[in-house]
Amino acid sequence: MYKLEAKNANLFYGDKQALKNINIGIKPNSVTAFIGPSGCGKSTLLRCFNRMNDLIENARVEGDFLMDEINIYKDINTYELRKRIGMVFQKPNPFPKTIFENVSYGLRINGMKDKKMIEERVVESLKQSALWNEVEGSLHKSALSLSGGQQQRICIARALATEPTVLLMDEPASALDPISTAKIEDLIYTLKNKFTIVIVTHNMQQAARISDKTAFFYLGELIEFEKTKKMFTNPEEEKTQNYITGRFG
Amino acid sequence: MKNLIRKIKFIDKTFQYLAMAATFFVLIVLCVLIWNIFSNGLLRINGSFFTNLPSRHAERAGIMTALAGMGSLLVITIVIALPIGVLSGVYLEEYGKKNKFASFIEINIANLAGVPSVIYGILGLQLFVRMAKMGNSLLAGALTLSLLIMPIIIVATREAIKAVPDSLREASYGMGATKWQTTSRITIPSALGGILTGIILAVSRAIGETAPLLVIGALVYVPFVPEGPNDQFTTLPIQIFNWTTRPQEAFIINAAAGIVVLLLITFLLNGIAIYIRNKWYKKMRY
Repeated sequence: MYKLEAKNANLFYGDKQALKNINIGIKPNSVTAFIGPSGCGKSTLLRCFNRMNDLIENARVEGDFLMDEINIYKDINTYELRKRIGMVFQKPNPFPKTIFENVSYGLRINGMKDKKMIEERVVESLKQSALWNEVEGSLHKSALSLSGGQQQRICIARALATEPTVLLMDEPASALDPISTAKIEDLIYTLKNKFTIVIVTHNMQQAARISDKTAFFYLGELIEFEKTKKMFTNPEEEKTQNYITGRFG
Repeated sequence: MKNLIRKIKFIDKTFQYLAMAATFFVLIVLCVLIWNIFSNGLLRINGSFFTNLPSRHAERAGIMTALAGMGSLLVITIVIALPIGVLSGVYLEEYGKKNKFASFIEINIANLAGVPSVIYGILGLQLFVRMAKMGNSLLAGALTLSLLIMPIIIVATREAIKAVPDSLREASYGMGATKWQTTSRITIPSALGGILTGIILAVSRAIGETAPLLVIGALVYVPFVPEGPNDQFTTLPIQIFNWTTRPQEAFIINAAAGIVVLLLITFLLNGIAIYIRNKWYKKMRY
C-alpha cells in the first residue's frame, strides 16, 4: 500500500503543460527524492500533494492524487489535508513572531486552546526537529533572531506540530551552509521513522545520501523511479545517466 | 584618456556641489521661516493661550476652541476613514482579482490622493452640507476630511500589504490555515507598521488642512467648545488664518504662536510615524 500516489496526473499552467501523465507511488516511512533540472516539474508535483498549486491562479490539475487511498482533490477538504501533510519551503520562512508562536501556529489555527497541551506539542516538535537544546531558554525571542539553519528547523518544527504523517520538503537546504545542511539531513534521517518524507533537491549527493528511492524528472515527465542505490550506480535510462553524471542539467 | 578622466571628475564634483547648494538653499529658507515664526510666537505661548476662548482683544485671545474643534474633528475623521480605508486596502490587495478593472481602480485611487484639497471641500459642501443637510457641522467637516485622507490610507495599506513576502502566506496556507486566518494572523500584523505609518501621515495631513473646511463653512469665530457632532466648529489652521487677516500687530503674533503649536503637533506626529516605521522594520527583517 502506498502512502502517497499519483495516477495519470497532468498539470497545466494556462496552456503550458508542466506535468505529463505522472504515475508514482510512495511507500510509508521512506524518504523519496525528486531530482531533475530546473523547470522539470518536480516542485510542481510536490505541491500537488498538499494542493499548494491551488493558490496559483491559472493552474489546472487532472488525474488522481491519493493519500492513504483517499482522493486528495475530492474526498478531503484542503485545510484538513494540509494539516496532515506538512510542508517545508526552500527559503526559511518563519513568521515574524516568537519561536513559541511560530511552532504553535498550526495548533492555534486548529482551535486548540489548552495552554498545557499547546506547550507540550511545541516542546515535542522542537525536540523532534533537534532544536530544543539550542532554543530551550529563548522560546519567546523572535524566530527571526535565529540563524538560517535554525530558522529552517523552526519551520520543520512548525510543520511537525500538527502531527502530520507526511512531510514535503522543497529544497529545504539549498539556502543553507554545509553545516546547517548536514544537520537538516541528519534530521530527515531520524524523522523517517515516523513520517513519510518527499524531498525535492538539486543536490545529487544529498539525494544519494538521504533517500531510499529517487525519482528523476525531465520536461514534466517522470523518466525513472528507482531505489536510490540502483539509480546512482546503474540507471536504466540514458537521460538519467547523463543527468546524474553531470552531462546536462 | 587622462583628459577624459579629468573631465568626468570635474562633472562629478560640479554635480556634487550643485546638489549640496540646492540642499542648503532649502534648509536655509526653512530655518529663516522657523526662526521668524518662533521668534515672534514663542513668547506669546503661555498657559492661558491654550485655555482662553477667542476674543476681540489679542492678548486675551486663545486657541481653546480651535484645539478642541480640531481634536474632535480628527477623532471623528479617524473613526470614519480608518476602518473603511484599511479594509479597502486589504480587499484590493488580498481579495480582489487582478484584472483591468482592478488596475483602473488602482490608478484612480492614486489620482484621488493627489487631488487638490479644495475640490474635496466643494464636494463636501454639496454632498454633506447641502444635500444631507448637515450644515456647517463637525460631522460634515469630518466626513469631508475623511474623503480627503481615505485614498492616502488605502494606498499606504496596499503598499504595506504588498511588502509582506508571499513566502509567509505560503507558510500559513501550508499549515492548513484559511484565507481569513492567514490575512488576520500573518499578513495584516506583518504589515501593521506600514499601515500605522500611513495612517499617521494621513492624519498629520488632515491637521494642516484649511481650504476644504473653509469651503464647507467652518466658522472663523467660535466662542464655544463643540459638544456634539452637529455643533459648529473651528480648527487651529482656520484660527491662524483668521488672525493673520487682522490688521493689529498683536494678532499677527497670536498667529505666529498658533503656527508654533500647529508645527509642534505635526512634528510630533511625523516623529511618531518615523519611530514606528523604524521599530517595525527592525522587527520585520525577513
